[in-house]
Amino acid sequence: MYALSPNVNNFTAGSIAAKDRAKTPVNQIKPLAKTDPNSDESLLIAVGNTQDTSAFNQLFIRFSKKIFAMGMKLTRNEQVAHDLVQEAMLTVWQKAPLYDLDRGTAQSWIFTLTRNRCFDMLRKQKRQPNTISADDIWPTEGDGDAVFVNEERGSLEVEIAQIERFYSDLPDAQQAVVKQIFVLDRTHEEAAKALQIPLGTLKSRLRLGVGKLRQLIGPTP
Amino acid sequence: MTNTANFHPSLELLTDFSQGKLATGISVALSAHLELCEICQEKASKLESEAAKFWAKAADDKTSPDFSDMISAIVGQAQTTYDESAGKQERPPVNEIHMLHHSVTLPRVLAKAASQGLVWKTLAGGIKRASVIVDNKTQCEFIYMTPGSQVPVHRHQGSEVTLVLDGSFSDELGHYRATDFMVRTKDNLHKPTSEEGCLCFAVLDSPLTFTKGFAKLMNPLIEYKFRKALAARA
Repeated sequence: MYALSPNVNNFTAGSIAAKDRAKTPVNQIKPLAKTDPNSDESLLIAVGNTQDTSAFNQLFIRFSKKIFAMGMKLTRNEQVAHDLVQEAMLTVWQKAPLYDLDRGTAQSWIFTLTRNRCFDMLRKQKRQPNTISADDIWPTEGDGDAVFVNEERGSLEVEIAQIERFYSDLPDAQQAVVKQIFVLDRTHEEAAKALQIPLGTLKSRLRLGVGKLRQLIGPTP
Repeated sequence: MTNTANFHPSLELLTDFSQGKLATGISVALSAHLELCEICQEKASKLESEAAKFWAKAADDKTSPDFSDMISAIVGQAQTTYDESAGKQERPPVNEIHMLHHSVTLPRVLAKAASQGLVWKTLAGGIKRASVIVDNKTQCEFIYMTPGSQVPVHRHQGSEVTLVLDGSFSDELGHYRATDFMVRTKDNLHKPTSEEGCLCFAVLDSPLTFTKGFAKLMNPLIEYKFRKALAARA
């Protein structure tokens, strides 16, 4: 991840590290996002954990005009774009407790949330039927997943012997992920590390694998 | 057994999708494909974070109005608790379509679309279709081709997106299986057939034109119905 500063990797060959140091004055090395209290991520976490209004102010200053710009680009309507700023920043405030670093960068989180609100606002403005909303089209990674996976874990452990046959029908990549989580009882992060795949890939494989198993097992009583 | 798609949405389409630029009908078809296709899911999430990065990096417009008077009203609102949000993503009620000998589990977004109720209509050639209304720009429908069925040759006036959900079908350009995602434009004449039967989700942005035989007589009728259907929704 290039968001991290080069000095994080302190196992780099000495010559390379020295070369980097020569080029980059020490005070310009970016601190880790996690520890910088002024990073978007830290601010967002502060808003979520302690309803920190000054952190929210900072985020508002950083993002409100960007949200307006996205609104203008997608709707070409100043009033709608204005309302989008209100709606999106309100959602940032309300959903901040759900954010954690697993969800990716704060800018990515705010971007998708703004896109989704904008999509729904446009639909409403054009009086489209409300059968489908943005959250159906771009399901939130995490919120529902946590519950879903925990439920599955309970029943899978009990029936593991019977479902072994189904399990062996899964593609290898999905089998490996299901094994890490359900058999070895690892966390998503640990499993991703063990398999050397990105966390997002792990989660999608897990969802596909568990979905397939669930389909094969059939309705549970 | 795994369903690995041979036909995927283009990079342009995924890019527009990740930026929320597409009509709801097309977005629904793409979302359903992504749920089934790991490769495109990864591509889309990469495109999304690239778009986010680009968006966050762009310099603010100096002429943009100031919104800071909104802050006090926002921070007066209650925040979401974890549980509240977790319960929201329940699976919608209709998540399977029953076919002749088995049932097909639908991707989440299609299950949601189908939850308005599906009314199947039988057409000539062993085709059944059930339309769902998701927006007023496109015509979305589930299409079920019974084994051995054949759609009369037709040409699209606009474009048609097809996502195969179960079984397979063929036309002049290829053989398509579950998870495959195709876009056909007005330049493609086509005549789909299905030996084993096939369930698809199709999104049309303007009516079909049949080009051969008696089916041609249906053209004005289709055009009329399409316009009427769109007018009724607007």
